[in-house]
Amino acid sequence: MSQLQVRDLQVTFGGLRAVDGMDFDVAQGEILCLLGPNGAGKSTTLDLICGKTQPTGGSIRFQDTEISRMLEFQRARLGIGRKFQVPSVYKELTVAENLSVARSMKPGIWHALTHPAIRRSSKMQDILDLVGLQDKMGEPAGNLSHGETQWLEIAMLIAQDSRLILMDEPTAGMTIQETERTARIFRSLSANHTLIVVEHDMSFVRTVADRIIVMNQGSKLAEGTIQEIEANEAVKTAYLGH
Amino acid sequence: MNTKLSYDIIGLTLFAGVILFGVPALFSYDGFELNTFSRYLSLAIVSMALALSWGTTGLLNLGQAATFGMGSYAMAMHLKLKASGDGLPDFMGWNNVETLPLIWGPFQSLTFTLLAGLLIPAAVGGLIAIFMFRARIAGVFVAIITLAFLVAFQLLVIEQQGLTGGQNGLTGLAQLVLFGWKIDIYSVSFYYMVGGCLMAALIFGLYLTHSKFGLVLRAIREDAERTRYFGYNVANYQTVIFCISAGLAGWAGMLYALVLEFASPTYMSVSFSLAIVIWCAVGGRESVLAAAVGAILVNLAEGRLSDVFVEGWHMILGVMFLVVVMFMPRGIYGLLVDAGRALRRKPASTKEALPFDTPLNPKQES
Amino acid sequence: MDVVFNQAFAGLSIASILLIIALGLAIIYGTMGVINLAHGEFVMLGAYATWALQTYAGLGVVTALPLVFVAVAAVGWIIEKVIVQRLYTRPLDTILATWGIGIILQQAVRLGVGADSRFVSGPHWLSGNIEIGALVMSNYRLFVIAFSIMVLGATWLLMTRTEFGMKLRAVIQNRGISECYGIEAKNVYSVTFAYGAGLAGIAGALITPLFSTIPTMGTGLVVDAFLVVIVGGLGSLMGTAAAALLIGEVTALFSIVINDTLGRIAVLAGIILLIRFRPRGLFPSDIRH
Repeated sequence: MSQLQVRDLQVTFGGLRAVDGMDFDVAQGEILCLLGPNGAGKSTTLDLICGKTQPTGGSIRFQDTEISRMLEFQRARLGIGRKFQVPSVYKELTVAENLSVARSMKPGIWHALTHPAIRRSSKMQDILDLVGLQDKMGEPAGNLSHGETQWLEIAMLIAQDSRLILMDEPTAGMTIQETERTARIFRSLSANHTLIVVEHDMSFVRTVADRIIVMNQGSKLAEGTIQEIEANEAVKTAYLGH
Repeated sequence: MNTKLSYDIIGLTLFAGVILFGVPALFSYDGFELNTFSRYLSLAIVSMALALSWGTTGLLNLGQAATFGMGSYAMAMHLKLKASGDGLPDFMGWNNVETLPLIWGPFQSLTFTLLAGLLIPAAVGGLIAIFMFRARIAGVFVAIITLAFLVAFQLLVIEQQGLTGGQNGLTGLAQLVLFGWKIDIYSVSFYYMVGGCLMAALIFGLYLTHSKFGLVLRAIREDAERTRYFGYNVANYQTVIFCISAGLAGWAGMLYALVLEFASPTYMSVSFSLAIVIWCAVGGRESVLAAAVGAILVNLAEGRLSDVFVEGWHMILGVMFLVVVMFMPRGIYGLLVDAGRALRRKPASTKEALPFDTPLNPKQES
Repeated sequence: MDVVFNQAFAGLSIASILLIIALGLAIIYGTMGVINLAHGEFVMLGAYATWALQTYAGLGVVTALPLVFVAVAAVGWIIEKVIVQRLYTRPLDTILATWGIGIILQQAVRLGVGADSRFVSGPHWLSGNIEIGALVMSNYRLFVIAFSIMVLGATWLLMTRTEFGMKLRAVIQNRGISECYGIEAKNVYSVTFAYGAGLAGIAGALITPLFSTIPTMGTGLVVDAFLVVIVGGLGSLMGTAAAALLIGEVTALFSIVINDTLGRIAVLAGIILLIRFRPRGLFPSDIRH
């Protein structure tokens, strides 16, 4: 049984069909990569799943619940996390505070009122070790370098512990070593999490992707493993323009 | 325990020492002098209440004076009824009101009055908050809506003369009898009662800001949109803090009506609301303690300087406010934090003094 | 019925003054996103400038108009350069700063000129009325209405037919890109703010014969003008004009049906509901995203 089912998903922005009849399933524990030229509708697809954008048609079912009309926070509570293209951490909060906000298994007000802002836990320590920010706990996130900021946001998503994580260009601006490290983290995440990743870096995609969907002009052009995609004529035409 | 919390506890202890021991000793326990200070302390409560919504959550509530006024009228209505004995309050007669209006009745009861002064402002604040935040109104639009509400509310209070005493407000009040204790506002014990209320409000405020709730509020201030994707119902968080802030303002209003022995529509004026913003900004909008100190300092300065510069005081206040907004947006608190940081560490990393505005929410539809 | 016609005419003359004030406010808000709470004080400065010119130089209201425009625009230009320009990245703080400026201007006038009401007499050649049946229209009010339409036309020409207007619209759409093409956004902002202030000054001059001139006169006006801006929608001159007409008339006619105070409360409730349900106004343009 697939965890996420997307059927005939559509969204129109003032006449432009940004996403036009997308159909796909994602299985529990799978890493799905979305590829495609700029403006193909990849980020918009993620926006539709996490609730940033309301669809004009179609359905999104997550663990057998129709979510396409839900608000963002309701979807997050069901277990959908999102990393944005521009790293969005809270620059005025410290690294530890950022992680504490992200640890939101109980997002209700009563729980928040009766618990301290930061609770040291071994899990939080593990996450910080994993991304190498253990020395920066008390540092405001605004003082971090670009790479560290990317790590912090990934750490926040791990702390959020969503079952489905949507990643928009997680390796943008990273060095080769950092990208490799990210790939390792993603592989280890897929034990408990499902990932949908928008990415341009093909070597990264080769390492992590279980399955790939290539999008073009808002719809699905091809779907399959990396080998199948690389052999696909339609993809070559779309990319190389023959 | 983290360092921020320990600094706040040290700060609160020092502040409590000054207010509860220093000030009374300074005025040699003179009730008349302390009465003026009781006024400052009650204003400190409304200032710290604003720090919760504005500094912590990024919601600039320009209508804080409205909820403050509600509290003061609740208290004054009770005392007016006590002063009128079995008869009608005098101003009602002048306005040809012959029977006691329905909403006045319950204010005979002290318990009802105390609850009403806290809960009615909280409920009104909560309703406005639900109205705004469900629609994701943010930034300057929160300021404009709350300002418009304040102006409308004050007009309504002035217009309904038979109910509210109109422009004159409620004067000629009885002394409050609090569970058998007849309160003399020129006594030292009254000063301690107001001081105790302020301390309780501050401890409550500090508790809130150091809880996970306070952390989520700061996250909302910086990026409400992002916070939703972590599963927090941002509108609910904003509504609750608006409620709490309005309730505290109402409480402060009750004390203020006691100190001044009357309630007036000027407590709900735009300029009073602005004054609250000024105190909060001067002290430091991020910290409830700093906002309380700001209120006391500015009012103390006003008390001393307005004798010297009778006409010029508002000018000084305006200039002071402008300078604070432009050059020290974090107020005195920000200066202290920066100074502390410079002392402790290498002076190189001064990437600070960030503005604390929530950017206009681009998602205004729905 | 006569009462209704006369109130409708009064509403029209209120609307025309509101229009001039709101145009300035709308241009400033539309261009730089600054809600200028000192705008009412610019109106007040215009009124006092007119009073001073009449009292000390013997100039009539109409002759004084260009001088008042230049004087208040200059004040606006200085305030923009010295204060507002530093706060563009902090929209909430511009509200507070302009509020502070308003207090300072008000107090400066109170200290300099005094708090008593001042009176300015209208131009002699515009005294008298035109009467159509029971409808009595004063010549001066007719002049104000005509003048406000001229101001609207001039502003429209400035925005759409001049190089400055082109630059202004470019900056509104995308400040960064405009600067890449050599448009100095800072200067565009300064001039825009000065123009908006100048318009407020003109409005202040025009109302002097109708109302008494006191230091607090601007406070109430800015609320109404802001309502006009919100109702009119951002970046739309014709929307602002339509909104001014609507609000002027509604206010005037409301005051027959219910009393003035309740009329104002209704107007404020209108602002609140409108921001909540139509934050882009009743007549939004598609310029700003």
